[in-house]
Amino acid sequence: MPALPLHEAGRYVAGAYIVVFALVLIYVAIMAIRLSRMERQMQELLERSERPERPAQTPAEPLDVGRPDATRADATRAEATRPEATRPEATRPEATRPEATRPEATRA
Amino acid sequence: MLYGRGLRTLSVLTAATWAVALGLVFFYAPLEAEQGFLQKIFYVHVPLAIVSLCGFVLGGLFAIAHLRTRESRWDMRSYVAIHMSLILGVGVLITGSIWAKGSWGHWWVWDEPTLVSYLIVFLLYATYQPLRFSIEDPERRARYASVFAVTAGAFVPMNFLAVRLSSAYLHPRVLGGTSNLPGSMALTFGVSLVAVGLLFATLCKYEMTAKHARGQLRALRRRRTDELQRAGRFGF
Repeated sequence: MPALPLHEAGRYVAGAYIVVFALVLIYVAIMAIRLSRMERQMQELLERSERPERPAQTPAEPLDVGRPDATRADATRAEATRPEATRPEATRPEATRPEATRPEATRA
Repeated sequence: MLYGRGLRTLSVLTAATWAVALGLVFFYAPLEAEQGFLQKIFYVHVPLAIVSLCGFVLGGLFAIAHLRTRESRWDMRSYVAIHMSLILGVGVLITGSIWAKGSWGHWWVWDEPTLVSYLIVFLLYATYQPLRFSIEDPERRARYASVFAVTAGAFVPMNFLAVRLSSAYLHPRVLGGTSNLPGSMALTFGVSLVAVGLLFATLCKYEMTAKHARGQLRALRRRRTDELQRAGRFGF
């Protein structure tokens, strides 16, 4: 069979090489999507590890204050006047202490 | 174990080799007397076919290592080698069809043993992934996949030899006794083969690094969930 003229063979050759590069490109694009998903999950995990966790199953401290804006201040005051032995932080580990009694919460 | 070590160097080396190979293909290698410019397809088609078949065999060898040691890393290597060979296999079939259309006037010829045998190997390995992911238990999945990879891996060279012995004059031969490549063409072909081999190695390394990182992330999440549950809090 005689050789195809350059203008005709060129299309086939270009097509073959483009197919190979397209395959590699598609693979790299899929890898990029996977990588960005992994990065997002990693970020999520990092945020969760930095954020203080809310206590679960631990009943909230009963607060006898009706006004929402005064809740924390009043709770802190009430805590200060309580006898030391009955304070929750004396009997409970730091990690499970309710948010309202933590030092950073009272500062806010 | 860090799979990503040396990945950047390998990637740069692959890109450089590809650049050299393409330069040689289009600016150095002479035009073939019979096929003319169309023969340039062979510099990518044949290396892809060789590397993909070697990848299938490599997958089988890794599977043997997995069956002997029961270490999951060998199973992962076997899976990645077969996965990458399948991707290259798609390239082989498409570039082969393009060449056939230009040379023979048909996209596919069913009475060509080399084409059909490669298609059979490709379809055989195309069942590997459905088989693998249909088994839920990880240990059983790895074991069954390894047995498949060993069996199919042994089939590849047998199939290749049988076709080569039976059809010495039908499919153009680039390597072997019937080949009489001039030096410049042989050099170009060799560099192209190295470039495709490096591409295969790089993609395998990428895949293994991604898989390993994903596995570690999953383990980290599991550990964190366990810790939170142990501390009596809500997890994820």
